Amino acid sequence: MKQISLNINNKFYNILVDEHELLSNVIREKIGLTGTKIGCEQGSCGACTVLVNNKAVLSCITPAISCDKAEITTIEALAENGKLHKLQKKFVEKGAIQCGFCTPGMVMTAINLVPELNKNDSPEKLRQQIKEGISGNLCRCTGYKKIIDAIVEYTLDESYKQEDSKFNSIKKLKTVGIPRPYIEAESKVKGEAEFADDIYIKNSLHCKFLRSIYPHAEIIEIDTSEAYKIKGVRYIAIGNELPITFGVLPISQDENAIAIKKVRYVGEIVAAVAADTEEIAAKACQLIKVKYNPIKEFLTIDESLADAGENEKIHEYGKFNNNIQKKAELRFGDQQQGFKDSEITSRMSFEFEGINHGFTEPHASTAFWDENGLTINTATQVPHYLHRALAKVLEVPLSRVRVIKPYIGGGFGGKSDPFAHEIIVAYLSRKTGKPVKVRLSREEVFLTNHGRHPTKMTVEMGFSNDGIIQALDADVAIDGGAYGSFGVVTTYYNGVLLQAPYKLSNFGFRTYRVYTNKPQCGAMRGHGAVNSRFAVESIIDEISYKIKIDPCELRMKNFLDSNTLTVGQYRITSNGSRESLQKVMDLSDWKNRFGKLEKGHGLGVACGFFISGSALPIFWNELPQSVVHLKLDFDGRVLISSGSSDIGQGSDTMLAIIVSEVLGISMENIFVLAGDTLLTPVDFGSYSSRVTFMAGNAAKDATENLKKEIIASVANQKHAIGKELNFENDRIFTNDKSVDLSWMEAVEILTAKRGAVSVSGKYISPKLGGDFKGAGAGLSPSYSFGACVTEVKVDLETGQVDVINIWGAHDCGKAINPLAVEGQLEGSWHMGMGQAVSEQMKYYKGLLLNNNFLDYKIPTSLDTPDINSNIIETMDPEGPFGAKESGEGAIHPVIPAIANAVYNAVGVRITKLPICAEDILTKISQNDLLNNKIIQ
Amino acid sequence: MTNEKKYIKTSTIADAISEAIKNSNSFRFVAGGTDIFPNKFQENDTSDCFIDIADIEELKQITYTKDYLNIGALTTLETLKNNEFIAQNFPTLLEAANSVASPVIRKSATLGGNLLCENRCHFYNQSAWWRQAAGHCLKCGGDICLANGGKKYCFSKFVSDTAIALISFNAKIEIVSPEKTEFLYLEEIYSGDGIQHLLLEKSSIIKSIQIPLNIIYKSVFKKLQQRKSLEFSSLTTCITVFKDNKIKIVAGAIAPKPIFVVGALKDDFSELITSIAKNSKIVENDSYSRVYRKNMIRVLLNRSIKEIQLTEK
Repeated sequence: MKQISLNINNKFYNILVDEHELLSNVIREKIGLTGTKIGCEQGSCGACTVLVNNKAVLSCITPAISCDKAEITTIEALAENGKLHKLQKKFVEKGAIQCGFCTPGMVMTAINLVPELNKNDSPEKLRQQIKEGISGNLCRCTGYKKIIDAIVEYTLDESYKQEDSKFNSIKKLKTVGIPRPYIEAESKVKGEAEFADDIYIKNSLHCKFLRSIYPHAEIIEIDTSEAYKIKGVRYIAIGNELPITFGVLPISQDENAIAIKKVRYVGEIVAAVAADTEEIAAKACQLIKVKYNPIKEFLTIDESLADAGENEKIHEYGKFNNNIQKKAELRFGDQQQGFKDSEITSRMSFEFEGINHGFTEPHASTAFWDENGLTINTATQVPHYLHRALAKVLEVPLSRVRVIKPYIGGGFGGKSDPFAHEIIVAYLSRKTGKPVKVRLSREEVFLTNHGRHPTKMTVEMGFSNDGIIQALDADVAIDGGAYGSFGVVTTYYNGVLLQAPYKLSNFGFRTYRVYTNKPQCGAMRGHGAVNSRFAVESIIDEISYKIKIDPCELRMKNFLDSNTLTVGQYRITSNGSRESLQKVMDLSDWKNRFGKLEKGHGLGVACGFFISGSALPIFWNELPQSVVHLKLDFDGRVLISSGSSDIGQGSDTMLAIIVSEVLGISMENIFVLAGDTLLTPVDFGSYSSRVTFMAGNAAKDATENLKKEIIASVANQKHAIGKELNFENDRIFTNDKSVDLSWMEAVEILTAKRGAVSVSGKYISPKLGGDFKGAGAGLSPSYSFGACVTEVKVDLETGQVDVINIWGAHDCGKAINPLAVEGQLEGSWHMGMGQAVSEQMKYYKGLLLNNNFLDYKIPTSLDTPDINSNIIETMDPEGPFGAKESGEGAIHPVIPAIANAVYNAVGVRITKLPICAEDILTKISQNDLLNNKIIQ
Repeated sequence: MTNEKKYIKTSTIADAISEAIKNSNSFRFVAGGTDIFPNKFQENDTSDCFIDIADIEELKQITYTKDYLNIGALTTLETLKNNEFIAQNFPTLLEAANSVASPVIRKSATLGGNLLCENRCHFYNQSAWWRQAAGHCLKCGGDICLANGGKKYCFSKFVSDTAIALISFNAKIEIVSPEKTEFLYLEEIYSGDGIQHLLLEKSSIIKSIQIPLNIIYKSVFKKLQQRKSLEFSSLTTCITVFKDNKIKIVAGAIAPKPIFVVGALKDDFSELITSIAKNSKIVENDSYSRVYRKNMIRVLLNRSIKEIQLTEK
């Protein structure tokens, strides 16, 4: 240990540090300035950026001793006397903050960058320099556009002209539809918002895991005796202490928190150590001896389809003599006849690599027990399902479990299962009587995975010569990894979510999910339908060239109408497919440019749709899908309590806007308490793009109930007619002003002799769908629709694809908060671009090769074009103020639009993702050969 | 027993070398630390003692004479960018420097450090747990190369981008070791052995990089990388044409050391490229395939020479 002195944010510290301790650790753990985030620990994400002597450095790879006597500036120092720095203000205003986890590092990088920029450079040059300057800071939420906007405006010290509201609503609304920053944006940009790893409960022990080094092996023996000899080791848990299985779906409760008897993937938890420090726990893990007996491993879909020998199956249960977990098949209309009636058909096979969510905040949890039972602070999207899993595995009543969701650094589906590490820290805390904390390294986050399934599929479509779809058939296999997760749903979604946005009469699919000895796959943004959508949109593109109908026109011909049923009995209400496609055609100047670009330069189009909340609960029960409570007390403040999870998508703000709109009161009077299973009513959480629709509707229902209470008491006291009362501008009044009360006056009337008023609201999906087996899959009270046009340049000699433009349009019904919706769309298109051109999970003998942000290639700011985002409003009849989802559906069209643009550029049909430069080159040369032959 | 961990700050070259001798068991010099600390995090670097040379002023000077430009080894990649003399005379060096890692890393990473950057491989740049699970490769003490199954040679790739440019300029480096100070051509310090890729004595320090002035006609730098930032190279090339019509072609990330060929402008350029390709030792240890990287050697170099020819016209 050595004493160093640091001037951190103008405060002087004399502090003992380990010789090799990193600056990030000192700042976060010793000083307690948790605004500086740890995202990768290897200098490849930028979240830990701070200034040392006014120079931006990555504190996670900077030794603290090297900064002895240095001046260090962290995010916490930027705001002076609580007032935001101008750059922070710009981040807030421009919507540059979503989950907020990359924000502190991004702001610190930018603040160091701006003095290097030349204000007099052209706007394009300035933007390019900013893109370059922040290109070491990864953001998974925003697509960078709004971040760059914020930095440009700060640099030029001016505001862009606000566009005249392109969000003019059909009916004039007060709060809904006005772009606004998240209510928590300031605390995020100041580095004050606490994420799971920022929370320290005193006396906490630290947990580390020993993980399997075999993909498939029997555990013969675990010897913890040497590990226990280390001072500071408090408890070591092994599998049979937690024998009860769990899983997010009731039908696949196939996971133990710690492996029992055998391991099913490299990285599975085999033992868990609770110790005084992380270092001690890690050291102890190294001393645990495990004897394994390897079993034949199954690493690919094909291997898992083959018959498995006795004791070779990955899971014992299951009907099949192989590693198939689930088969699903549905047929509608007469596919055979449909293909017979087709004048042209196309059948293509596709392969997709697995994709990881890549959220910037690694998983972290702290659990403790007190007189109220278990409390866990954890990075989760669905506190409710975790609540259930903890009660089940730990065998405690539901009433003794409290799950608290702090700020979450992105989820995208990757924080929606109950996780082994959450159950383990809860268990270790009970065993040791102390709080236990765990935080996963980026490598462990990748091993935990639950990402998009690697997929193989063959899809066939038949068309008449006039371009009308006659039949669609899909045969899909998905690689689920070692456990069930959401897999059964994913299996269905790969099929059922093909029945829109186009009219189909003859449609069917066969899908199956196999277990393999790899980290499990689950739900990820656009769940289940991203890959099969890619296939269909590619085939439509292929057909359009064959029958010489413009690919946009071909799609226009086939769109479903509004207010209709699909072949599988989905009830389509609002439908903005046509408007979306028209928008991106207009903006990209499609008519004038498509087919007229030189070789290597192309335009591509695709469309998509997605559910706006799953109509059915995961655990079959009669609870409403969302409940929102409101409490109005003497102070005039409305407290919203909701079990929904804001994971950076802005759902807390959405709830506040809805309450504000209904009551006509300003946002300052509204306070949101969310994601705490003790204090907030059950909400099923952030998955299936359900929050705005369901929690939003519940909030609206609750607010209307509160409004009724106010009307009743005011009408009673003022002898007014209730329906004549207006709620606007923080006043309650009649048109003739015979009643004209301020909000506070009305509140006084309401609470007189009664005190605080609490009301409740709920959302229950209407009964939907057919009565055949599988009819429930993909049912939703509403669906979103959208389209993308992309422009690419393909390097004809290297095969590298550069996405130079993305025009996207998405029908979200009504944008409750247009700034947030744009952010969701831009983030979706950016993430889709990653899957299209650079991201994939690569394995070596079941071992993930690219388990870090250097080798798992999320597009940087330099790789991402300035996305042109467009909100299409169709006013859904059942969505709150007409709103439906915007968080997931947008990802569907962008990926095939990029691939179709590549086809347009170089005539190479993409059938494997990510798009591989090498394949493109090979196919270009094959095409050239073919062309030469034809000419000869 | 773990050894005592040390972190020693030094302010002169002499100090640094004497600390190196004192801690000769297990030490490493640290300048920017941007490669060392990720390697330490993955437990590929297990040095007990870090000798911090970042404050040694005599390693930071950029000077030039009539014949040479001397760049202190501790010059950060970002500082290079701000030097007008370099921008005018060696824009290619700036391109190379700007292609390294990310802008924030370049504020700390030094030119000397980049020249000494540890070779990389998919099977090596992994956590200790991962390497145990995979079975250790040759570079981390195992007895087989996981990339190609061989037992003799490690083919970890050489990833310094600035070295490729500097070698093409015929740059030398000034090395101070306990015994002497000497100038070597930069290419002479790379062994070609993926396990120990440097021929330098461990306790020696690069003092400066010396680039000859007024002999270069034109040079062109190229780097193949999947993303436009953050990436280590999949293939780096630099061609320099000298005023005496000689040409030097250098390529990195295709072998454990830089591969180069010297020729004359009148030579068959295709043959020069063939010579580079022949000497490459590419294995499957990168996000791009072996075959693709090999094919790209010709593509990048042909492009480069075209750019040079264009300026001739």
